[in-house]
Amino acid sequence: MRKITYRDALREALREEMAKDNNIFIIGEDVGRYWKGAFKVTKGLAEEFGDKRVRDTPISESAIVGVAAGAAITGMRPVAEIMFGDLSTLAMDQIANQAAKLRYMFGGQTSVPMVIRMPFGAGVNIAAHHSQSLEAWFMHTPGLKIAMPSTPYDAKGLLKTAIRDDNPVMFFEHKLLYPIEGPVPEEEYTVPFGVADVKRDGKDVTLVATLYMVHKALAAAERLTKQGVDLEVIDPRTLIPLDKKTLINSVKKTGRVVIVTEDCKTGGASAEIAAIVAEEALDYLDAPIKRVAEPDTPIPFSPPLEQFVLPDEERIIKAVKEIM
Amino acid sequence: MVTNVLMPRLSLTMKEGTVVQWFKKEGEKVEKGEPVVEVLSEKVTYEVEAPASGVLRKILAEEGMDVPVAETLGIITAPDEKLPEVAEVTGERIIASPAAKRLAREHDIDLAQIRGTGPEGRIVEEDVQRILRELEVVPRVREVIPLTGIRKTAAERVSASAKRAPHSTITMEVDMSDTARLREKLQVSYTDVLVKAVAKALREHAIINSTLEKDAIRIFADVNIGVAVATDRGLIVPVIRDADKKSIEEISSSLRELVDRAKQGNLSKEELTGGTFTITNLGMYGVDEFTPIINPPETAILGVGRVVERPVVKDKEIVVKPVMKLSLSFDHRVVDGAPAAEFLREVKTYLEEPSSLLR
Repeated sequence: MRKITYRDALREALREEMAKDNNIFIIGEDVGRYWKGAFKVTKGLAEEFGDKRVRDTPISESAIVGVAAGAAITGMRPVAEIMFGDLSTLAMDQIANQAAKLRYMFGGQTSVPMVIRMPFGAGVNIAAHHSQSLEAWFMHTPGLKIAMPSTPYDAKGLLKTAIRDDNPVMFFEHKLLYPIEGPVPEEEYTVPFGVADVKRDGKDVTLVATLYMVHKALAAAERLTKQGVDLEVIDPRTLIPLDKKTLINSVKKTGRVVIVTEDCKTGGASAEIAAIVAEEALDYLDAPIKRVAEPDTPIPFSPPLEQFVLPDEERIIKAVKEIM
Repeated sequence: MVTNVLMPRLSLTMKEGTVVQWFKKEGEKVEKGEPVVEVLSEKVTYEVEAPASGVLRKILAEEGMDVPVAETLGIITAPDEKLPEVAEVTGERIIASPAAKRLAREHDIDLAQIRGTGPEGRIVEEDVQRILRELEVVPRVREVIPLTGIRKTAAERVSASAKRAPHSTITMEVDMSDTARLREKLQVSYTDVLVKAVAKALREHAIINSTLEKDAIRIFADVNIGVAVATDRGLIVPVIRDADKKSIEEISSSLRELVDRAKQGNLSKEELTGGTFTITNLGMYGVDEFTPIINPPETAILGVGRVVERPVVKDKEIVVKPVMKLSLSFDHRVVDGAPAAEFLREVKTYLEEPSSLLR
């Protein structure tokens, strides 16, 4: 199978869906022909589909999401881009109070088929305002779906599913993932929401990891295999809806779970996953649930400090060993 | 002095009991030996006596509560003694994972008996599984003997025989008085006489002297009697050829020689094959009767028990006679019970009137 980058996989999803459905349009800061998106995901799309369907906006996240939500309830299928997910705070009212609730508030008379693409995550030395992982906020808002592709394959397949979904989807991308390459079929496919990917079969410990952390978890698993510990690595791929079945079945098999997320530990996505395991698989746990997450701190600008707070292979291995 | 009133164990299987009623109120005086509380286990009620004199200072288990065996129900102190701040908790908390607890619960295993191997001594699922494996009643193996040689051949032959031939065994008791006398006179063994009696009977009941091959019963012209011999190396069956044509003395001398060489492991292939019927004697081991397995491809085998003096009824009188039991196992595909019984009765008759064997 051919290999393409995560970035190109996202672009393919956008292009293929836009070609099929004229209601789909892209809206965001610098997404058009002049800058092609901050991470070049939308490169060439304005030329192909025209400036009306790939719309540059002023620097106003609130306006971007507000326009998208409004367009969505009229039957359009906007794909909004927020240049850095951290800045979704500026659009929070439009996201949490409008997009997430419109369908409910109008008694189902309308749907809100929109996607907000947002790069998140740390590791490139751009400090506290551009490095966060904010999935927990959106998890706490009923009405939103959250997709978090960790591979080019999932990026394309999940984005297609997101665009076709009739509900607002928070589409999490990770800055460090854009250049990574992976196999992506040329023929049409989608990745359904709510279906986790078992990245690696194992019997000793279940590692649940999201987005960029999937790669850290796989690397840790590879190293631990050499030490005789057999890890199962699960990528939920979507946090809302969450594939509880795969998660619980894995925990029933291994009896041990380590959850690896890049967001802050307190009230983080890992807390929700841990709670589900405790609620639904307590009698199968053979050790305390472990979480490897960012400490409750803003992401430091200093590269050594930034590396210090980010979950890495060493911390994953340490957590696994603590419960073996 | 603080004395705890404990939930008693009223039976071996009792795990907990119910507090039925307290005979004393908190603060009331109690005498050592007088009933203070009534408890109920699955079957019986029981009055727990005060283990010490003093005042029932505190009731910990109210009426109606279920309390595990040996847990404290109440506390007796001296009349003016104050209760310690915290009642003593007996036993350490067992640290076990939920999975270990579930497995232990499912198999009724007491976690207190398990040594934990998890972090900080936590009992993990594997620890419970280890105990479960140990509890499985699998005897330990001391040594392994490979199945080879005579043992292997014997194993294959008896299992093939047991599988293929539907075995039926009939037993008759024989009065050995006359055979015993003949044996003395000729200086031969019971087996020697038996070989002759069987060989002669086989002549008349030829169907027993046969083999079943696919769709045909082949009746042998020769009467070759195999005699099972226990040796250090295993069971060996040397064959006395044309036993029907030999005298008891001839049988005796050839059998003695065969047995000697069998014990030395010096028998030729010819001396071990070609049997048409087998006699196996466990009488010397004190066996009365048994159900021998046919030596394939033969049709029947005679199991011989010990000769023992027993009271028997003869002419309406109880007399002591040397008797022996013969057990004939036969392949029911070849013969039915009646012909087999007729053959066995013939053998019995020869042994009871052995003079006929001398002709």
